[in-house]
Amino acid sequence: MNASDHTSPPPVVPQTKEEIDERRMELMVGYLLLAGVIVSQVSLLFGLVLDYIEHGTIRLAYLIKGMNYFQFLIHDILALAGPHAWGARTFVNLGIALLMFTPFIRVVASVFFFLLEERNIKYTLFTFFVAAVLTYSLFLR
Amino acid sequence: MSLVHSPVLMFLVSIVAGFIGAMSGMGGGIVLIPALTLVGIPIKHAIAISIVSVIATSSGAASAYVRDGVTNLKVGMFLEMFTIVGAIVGAAVTIAAGSEILFLAFGLVLLFSWGTLFIRKHSDAHYNRPADRFTTWLEHHGSYYDHAAGETITYQGRRAYIGGPCMFGAGFIAGLLGIGAGALKVLILDLAMGLPPKVSTTTSNLIIGVTALAGTSVYIAAGYVDPGLAAPVILGVVPGALIGTRLLRRLSNRSIRNFFLVILFLLGIEMILRGLGFFGG
Repeated sequence: MNASDHTSPPPVVPQTKEEIDERRMELMVGYLLLAGVIVSQVSLLFGLVLDYIEHGTIRLAYLIKGMNYFQFLIHDILALAGPHAWGARTFVNLGIALLMFTPFIRVVASVFFFLLEERNIKYTLFTFFVAAVLTYSLFLR
Repeated sequence: MSLVHSPVLMFLVSIVAGFIGAMSGMGGGIVLIPALTLVGIPIKHAIAISIVSVIATSSGAASAYVRDGVTNLKVGMFLEMFTIVGAIVGAAVTIAAGSEILFLAFGLVLLFSWGTLFIRKHSDAHYNRPADRFTTWLEHHGSYYDHAAGETITYQGRRAYIGGPCMFGAGFIAGLLGIGAGALKVLILDLAMGLPPKVSTTTSNLIIGVTALAGTSVYIAAGYVDPGLAAPVILGVVPGALIGTRLLRRLSNRSIRNFFLVILFLLGIEMILRGLGFFGG
């Protein structure tokens, strides 16, 4: 948590094109994951706090039923636009949706990184396969 | 359904689970699911909540490992192709399965994980042997700075043709039981693919996030995810994992392995007994 944890110099100094690409990839993936987790945590926490303010207790109990991920997301967005905007449940749903989106966007970003930056056809195809299967799984219902 | 549980209790249990998950590289689920079933949550719901929280544990810990340059991204991304397919199949099996079978399977996997930690304690370093052509083609090599040892470790992976198919099995277990199945993944990375312990642990962590997402999609579609219960669990698991990650980076490899043997063993026995009908299932 404190700044002194990051005072050690970058241990393996990247030199070749491959090493520099790898380092950039590491930073991109690392910060994407970090951002996704933080934003989803804040949203979940906000949802629970809101629930507490609304009801004097934390008592959200409901199931996501018969929806795929994208329907679940759209459900939230519609709820945001509706008259019961920004309820506790919306923030909790959004937190879970963002959490699920975190590894997904990491994979999608990796596809583009391998394709455009590293120009590595093998790994572009590998990550594309992973992205395709994940997309399929998110459409399951 | 009367799933009335103290969010504070759920939160505290999850902090501990996240901590142990990150320290062992196994994901928080392996502690979380027995704990959730003990406070009365049905095992399929516990599995579904756990696998959502495993995304958070994995991503939180992986973000630090990846930026540290310890995780091997190419090894991870190659193996993810196998784990995600396994996870989808595994989750589909759980939805159809009976609870007793799941308790039993969970206990057995837990004890197997326990065994692997114990066995690996005696294995020697073996990560600089020459690679086969396939693994070389996959570019599975790298180097990282070991904080505990104070030196840069260079390594060459091998036998990716064994590691890949084995990872389908690890993904299946992950989806089936709602855990990261990190012990199995680490075992494959370590013994089959010849990667150093820290690279195995951290790369396993990266793979777990995507694998858990594939499983989560299936559980959400089947209506097993209760966001009101998942929220405090996710909120607890992440700080626990962060603390675990920070400690892990400062410990030698041996102390990481020794720490959790007793807890894991007892939880495994407890789950098997419940699967066999003791404690009222």
